[in-house]
Order: sequence, then structure tokens, then C-alpha cells
Amino acid sequence: MRGFCDRTAVAGVGYTAFSRNSWVSTLTLACEAVLAALDDAGLTPDDVDGIATHRVGDSAAPSVVGPALGIDAPAWYLDQFGGGSVSHAVIGQAALAVAAGVAETVVCYRAVNARSEFRMGGTGRGVPVSPEVQYQAPYGYTAPPQQYAMYARAHMLKYGTKAEHFGQLAVTQRANAVKNPRALMRAPITLDDYLASRWIAEPFRLLDCCLETDGACAVVVTTAERARDLRRPPVLISAAAWGGGDSFLSGREPADPTVTSAAELAPRLYAMAGAGPEDVDVAELYDCFTYSVIVQLEDYGFCAKGEGGPFVASGATAPGGALPVNTHGGFLSEGYVHGVNHIAEAVSQLRGDAGDRQVPGAEVALSTAQPGYILPATSALILRRG
Amino acid sequence: MIKPVPDRDSAEWWERAARHEFVVQACGTCGTLRFPARAYCARCRGREWHWREVAPAGRVVSWIVNHQPFLPDAPTPYTVVMVRLTDAPACVMVGNWHGPAEPVADQPVTVSYTYVDERLSLINWEPA
Ligand SMILES: [Zn+2]
Repeated sequence: MRGFCDRTAVAGVGYTAFSRNSWVSTLTLACEAVLAALDDAGLTPDDVDGIATHRVGDSAAPSVVGPALGIDAPAWYLDQFGGGSVSHAVIGQAALAVAAGVAETVVCYRAVNARSEFRMGGTGRGVPVSPEVQYQAPYGYTAPPQQYAMYARAHMLKYGTKAEHFGQLAVTQRANAVKNPRALMRAPITLDDYLASRWIAEPFRLLDCCLETDGACAVVVTTAERARDLRRPPVLISAAAWGGGDSFLSGREPADPTVTSAAELAPRLYAMAGAGPEDVDVAELYDCFTYSVIVQLEDYGFCAKGEGGPFVASGATAPGGALPVNTHGGFLSEGYVHGVNHIAEAVSQLRGDAGDRQVPGAEVALSTAQPGYILPATSALILRRG
Repeated sequence: MIKPVPDRDSAEWWERAARHEFVVQACGTCGTLRFPARAYCARCRGREWHWREVAPAGRVVSWIVNHQPFLPDAPTPYTVVMVRLTDAPACVMVGNWHGPAEPVADQPVTVSYTYVDERLSLINWEPA
């Protein structure tokens, strides 16, 4: 199924600054990132006929952001419930709308004050409404790092994955962030620094965890044809896939806690792109926590099941390795805009404008969403230099 | 402690837990056991079901030792354990660990109820 392979493109990306306190509303952040992305593409809000976001009640809706920018009566909009697992589905759905001719130019954004206003995981706001919460919250099991730590330990027990593997990933990503002017964390770290960082929820230490960030990021999706006439080199959307998977609490099958929804999604994604893991030059893998990257390296087929830790330790994911990963520093070190800054970095790599972080000759990139441990869904994109 | 907020599917399960009845749902059509509580069987889509008392026992899948004070009134550190039920291997629960030492992988465990009030007992776990 080649779907809408290469019929749409990313024409622009935009950022606000990343910080621990933006001192402005999420509406302001959204507008700033949207305007920056449109400017990057050489467009204005008057060119936009579609607008989309994902959020969990923590940010400005498309129906607010559109009018605030004078985007009158958009032909298409999407207000997707969800956090990181749907980040790439939003871009995929925008591309689908463009490919279907429902809209021509869609701007997608994610705007969060995830440090200063709405912290994930039940601190500073009510516990999110999901049927599973009643069986977890009474036991003090409410926060994403706890849930990911639980699955990380299962992987350690089954495959011998080590703290040093998680640590090597954190160290490598920090080294990437040192070269990224946008990154919040730019001081180099060592494996000893990692091992000395305080426990959050064993087996996770502080340096296993992403940053809580205020900021916004936006992406402009249009037809491949139109993108070629715009300001920047087009980056084609070769594949987009999103979908479900069994929740560990779904009670349907004895689930293996070391396999994510990405394992189910990856074949569909690669089929649409007409490519495989061997064709990917750079990967921006959802790194809410270190372990998330390790399990995705396996589930997207870059190494055998259980080999994610040794694959990282081999240096394969570092600059110059077989598969440079999270070249911007990722959520661990650049900042955490719930998936969209991964897409923007992939676009930058494929345009060849990533500066000191540039992967030489990068033509194909994989960018992924939260692999489905917390909501049983995930999403991903394969992007290609136009 | 954050008290559970039962929904219309789960209210009776919590009432039974308060009476220390350890139950899951059994599909009336295909017999599949399921937890958490809900109306339809995900395997055969049947809507007939009944409560099935199962052994309050399982094995440790994984655990965390929580240090970060995510919740203001929960003293740290505390251990949360994930348990796969012996009589219903598709069903997994999380609870707090009431053991003298850290759990180990695949350790056999049994339920240790924590009485909160007349209408609520929490299901925690200890070595079998
Ligand atoms: Zn059934």
C-alpha cells in the first residue's frame, strides 16, 4: 500500500524559544510558532486553509488559534486528543487531507507550557481521565517516568539491558545538543554524571528523563507540487502511519511488555514509503525516556529484538554511526514539544541546514511518536529530501 | 493517597474488592477472563459475563522503586509492582509492594489487602 507516498511535503517549520517559563499563554506560543513556520515556507496566514494540533486539554485549540491569526473559516481542522503518541498522526492526517484535496496548506502546531503551567503526570493539575487511572493512581503510579521505568525494567530482566546502555544514549544525545543553539541543555555529560544523577523511579535516574519544557513548534504541510515553488527545499512525506495496539491492561492477550505498538506499525510505514530500515539515514525517535529509544530501535527493525542496548553502546546511534539518532539532542536535551520538534529536526536534516549537527548526505529520515506504552497507539513519518 | 474514582463499569469490582473478593470478569460466551471491568469481550464481542473468583495470586512482571515525590502525601521511596495473575494470565495489575526485600523477576506473590474504609480496600502484593 503506497497510500499518498510523496504526494505531500513539509514546506516550513517554526519554533518559539524553549524555556522553563515562557511567561506567555499557550495561545501566544502557538501563534508565534505558526507564524515562524509560515514565514519559513514563504507563506502568510492568508495562505492557510487547514489547521491542526494535538493536546490533552493543556493548550490553545485550533478554533482559537485560527481566528487569533485571522485564518478565517479554514476548510479543514483537527483537534486531536492525545499527547506524544499522536504527534505524528496529526501531520499524517494533515497530509491525508492535502492529498485528498480537502485542504491545500495546513499548519500543524503543538504549544505547551509543560513546565510552568501544566506538568504531565498529575503534579499541578488533576489526574487525566482514563479508565486505567483508577487502578493505578491509588498506588502512587501516576507519572509517565514511573510507567516507562516499569517497562524498562521488564526489558532489562528479559534481555540484560543495562543502566550503562541508557546512560550511553543520554550522553550521546547531550553531545548532540551541545551543537544545537535551540537546546535547553548544552553542558556535556559523562556516563559517570549519568550514573550519579538522582533516582526518579528505579531503574530511571534523572538523566533518563526528558525535559519539561515551555515552547511551541509548528510544521506546514502542502502538496509536493506547491512545495517546490516555495521558499525552502521541499521535504516529501513518503509515509505516514498511525494506529493502535493492545494496551497492557486491555486484557485481550498476554502482552509482552518489551514490545511496543511500533512493531505492528513499522511494516505498514515502510511499505508505504517503499523503503526499509536500511534506507534510513537519520532517525528522530521519541525519547520521553532513554528506554523509549532503545525499544524503538528494535521495533523499527534497526537491530534484533533485545539488542537495542548493545546497539547504542556500539556507537551506532552517535554522529558518524550507522544510524545517527536524535541529532538535535531530543527531548532529553533539546526540549520536549511532544513530538513536533523531532519532525522539525528531521526536516532540517533533509534540507541540509542542520549546521554542526548535519548528517552528511541525509536523504531519508524516520521520525516517531511515543511508541504506545501509555496510550495503546503510536504514529510515525518517513520523510525524504525532495 | 488518590482514592480511585470507580466508573459505571468498575463500581461493582471495587465493592467486591472492599469485601476482599478477588474477581475478574469471565465472558459468558467464550470464557475469556478480563480485567479491568467493561461490558464487551474483546475476543468474541459477547456482552454476557459474570464475575469469576480467581486465586489472589500471581507472578512479578516488573517493578519500580519510586523516589520522586510525584504525589505530596505519599512518603518515598515506595515500590510499585506489576503482577500477572496466575489464574488469568492475560490480566495484569499494579499495586504496592509489601515485602521485606525488593521483589525479584517472576516471584510468586499473593494479595495483601489494605483497608482504607468500609467501601474501599486496595489490592497490594506480598511474597507468596
Ligand atoms: Zn468472549
